[in-house]
Amino acid sequence: MNAPLKHTADATTAEEGLAAENMHAPVDSKTATEVAMRNTLLTPRFYTTDFDEMDAIDVTPVRKDWDELIAQMKADPNKGHFRKNEDWDHIDWDGMEPELRAEFIDFLISSCTAEFSGCVLYKEMKRRGSNSDITTLFQLMARDEARHAGFINDALREAGIAVNLGFLTQKKKYTYFRPKFIYYATYLSEKIGYARYITIYRHLEKHPEHRFHPIFKWFKEWCNDEFSHGEAFALLMKTDPKLTSGRNVWWIKFFLTAVYGTMFVRDHQRPAFHAALGVDPEEYAQSVFEKTSALSEQVFPITLDIDHPAWLPTLRKLQAANEQIAEGDRQGGLGGRLKRLAGSAKAAAAFARLYAIPAKRHEVPVQTRLEPCY
Amino acid sequence: MPIFTKTTERVPCTVEVSHRFEELSAHVRFDDGSVVHPGDVVEVLGPEIMAPFGEVVCENREAVITRASGLERWWTRMTGDAEFMELCEFSFSGEPLEVRP
Repeated sequence: MNAPLKHTADATTAEEGLAAENMHAPVDSKTATEVAMRNTLLTPRFYTTDFDEMDAIDVTPVRKDWDELIAQMKADPNKGHFRKNEDWDHIDWDGMEPELRAEFIDFLISSCTAEFSGCVLYKEMKRRGSNSDITTLFQLMARDEARHAGFINDALREAGIAVNLGFLTQKKKYTYFRPKFIYYATYLSEKIGYARYITIYRHLEKHPEHRFHPIFKWFKEWCNDEFSHGEAFALLMKTDPKLTSGRNVWWIKFFLTAVYGTMFVRDHQRPAFHAALGVDPEEYAQSVFEKTSALSEQVFPITLDIDHPAWLPTLRKLQAANEQIAEGDRQGGLGGRLKRLAGSAKAAAAFARLYAIPAKRHEVPVQTRLEPCY
Repeated sequence: MPIFTKTTERVPCTVEVSHRFEELSAHVRFDDGSVVHPGDVVEVLGPEIMAPFGEVVCENREAVITRASGLERWWTRMTGDAEFMELCEFSFSGEPLEVRP
């Protein structure tokens, strides 16, 4: 190796990154430290499920598609993607608007935690199973998630934030999810994750002046991993028609509503982040829902009617109710508790209204597999 | 499995932490093949574990598994699903931002 680099941003390997000069000077950014202190940084959750039921999945009905997908994942087309090259521009953390910096760091931390949690969950499934189709899939997905987490971690390190894995030696309680809930929730979160990343990527392609951090340049290939993971869950659900018919359609509608509603609310909590990207959170949400709905037609027999006259107004009510809850929490005391209670009631009513909007039904195609097309 | 009382087990485990550019991950594996069930609590004993950047650390430790009682296991099974939103991770944390410099 030559002379130490000026900045980790220029590093191509871990060793170079470590030797870079900016790694030795502690970053004294107060905000960054506060955020890091406030978050335990990585607080993944621990789940158990019915591993025997999962292990008993027989992928024979979708064998051809399954083998193709697994072969594609094994070939690991993104192996060389997650490394820094000349496209990784220098980031002026100190010149960044403090509000934007706080929101963006929070974005990175939560992204890293999400990838990390996915990795823990998939690895556990891999370890508890004996069905080689299933364990291979989960091993491959755990690989991708750990890689993404490493990449985000490096971006955080540049901002002077160190990962704390203190959770490892803390008491952790294992909660339980039925396998089908894991399929619905994980499928949707992978597909909506793809839609979110690609929408931002395409937007920044047209408006590069809004790209305030180089990590967005990596989103295209990155989200293809999310896409493949979603495909795997779609195939898993296809192995058992009961999972997507009868009473379970009501569960599917519930998950769709909850995931869309949560995304809408949370995105509105980051006004500076979206303003910097030049994105209106509402338009962005609708555009992401549209894509996610189109994709999820591959396996779900219904989609939500996001053009219904009550849809957006009710989402706004949900968002307002959520703000009221947060305000009540900040206020504290009896007044705060009452405010929180009223907010929760409003949120529940808004959610019930969203759920009551009639869904759109359609025929699920025989052929499940899709390719990233946005 | 007792219905009302908890039991604890001490089991050897291996903790592997990868803190590298190409992989950030941490896993705990019970060496004797023990498995956790709904409602169980696991604690790895000893000081905090962290690998320096660029390294993988593998440590043999002891873990205490506090087994949920039969009742608690049943309860966790019945109610665990209610926390399903935690599975819906799409890159955003659940708490509103508080840091406003």
